[in-house]
Amino acid sequence: MYGRKAYQLVKEFTNSESGQLTGFNDDLFAQVIEDCKEHVLKLQSLLRKMQEEGSDNQTTKNADHFGALMHHLALVRNKRCLMAYVYNRAEVVQNLGWTIDLVLPLEIEEKLSISEKEYFKSHSKTLKSYMSDLDIDLAVDMVPPKDPYIKVRVLEEIGNVVLSDQSANLTRYAILFLRRTDAEQYISQGKMEELTG
Amino acid sequence: MANYYDIDDILADEELVPAVFLEAVNGVGLFESNEANRVEPRSKVELPFWLARELHLRQAVSVTIPPCFNKKTREEIGADGAHVDLRSRSSYFYELGCKIVQLMGDKSIGSLLLVAFQTRYKEVLIKAHTAASSLTPKFLSSLTKEETKLYDAAKSSTAAFKTWRMGGPRFQKAAVLGRKRKPIGGE
Repeated sequence: MYGRKAYQLVKEFTNSESGQLTGFNDDLFAQVIEDCKEHVLKLQSLLRKMQEEGSDNQTTKNADHFGALMHHLALVRNKRCLMAYVYNRAEVVQNLGWTIDLVLPLEIEEKLSISEKEYFKSHSKTLKSYMSDLDIDLAVDMVPPKDPYIKVRVLEEIGNVVLSDQSANLTRYAILFLRRTDAEQYISQGKMEELTG
Repeated sequence: MANYYDIDDILADEELVPAVFLEAVNGVGLFESNEANRVEPRSKVELPFWLARELHLRQAVSVTIPPCFNKKTREEIGADGAHVDLRSRSSYFYELGCKIVQLMGDKSIGSLLLVAFQTRYKEVLIKAHTAASSLTPKFLSSLTKEETKLYDAAKSSTAAFKTWRMGGPRFQKAAVLGRKRKPIGGE
């Protein structure tokens, strides 16, 4: 059936949890484009046939006309599926720039296509330069803190780090009080967790 | 028309609807067995909605109401809408219904959708707010896409309310990095 592969492509996007990505399916993507090329060929041959018979595609509603129409519709449909696939993935990639720093973790990076990687890089670069122009970090928590310090547990070995108010040795499983603004980036990267109570 | 990039709208458009060709069509290989690449008038086919709609508007095919809106389903929904397995009929029951109404002008589907949604809405919210999801797999598998979203939204808002009341952690690992760990100090 027409548009089947394009449908599978879009379907695959929904299989991932919202806000997460599955690997870019180069193979299926190329297959859909291949489908499109086939439709174009058939569409052209039908139109040529009509021209040779001297009938006008605008007015004659014969079998060739409807054949061409169906190929045209399939093309439009395939295009929409391809665009939606790329567009929706790009939105997720864009959000990455807000939540994690310039360096992508390996498990995410391998899921992106080459142009998506580039898109991520330039998007987060733009974001960074905008924030430095404003001199405000827009990615911080919107709720004002009750206490500038929070208690965190380190989940991954980080090592000696110079923070804004102290230099701390962030070894694994260490529990310490850090400035919220310092801890925030580590938490969103999954290297620390906040402890409450 | 819905958003061009709307994934759900695209998927809903793929639902099959029965149709009968009114015109002959050349150069189209709809059936694998058909070597002549030609569809004869009066052939009965199931077409995805995106194709059927356009052809119907151009009077090349005549679309009939899909089986998920047949008499049997109507009776079941009338009897007890909350426990009908709508997903097995169509994952996009409501979306497809709305599209069909626009195309065919069958007024009775509109009220059917409304009744179905009203009775099921209540049930979905009650289940989402109270029962643990492990207790309701059968119920969950009968929901359409739209209802599953509603269920998840209700679930997550209950969870958010609980964290707010208990004063849970403000910060969490970025969602893209995978499932978040269960907060150890949170419970």
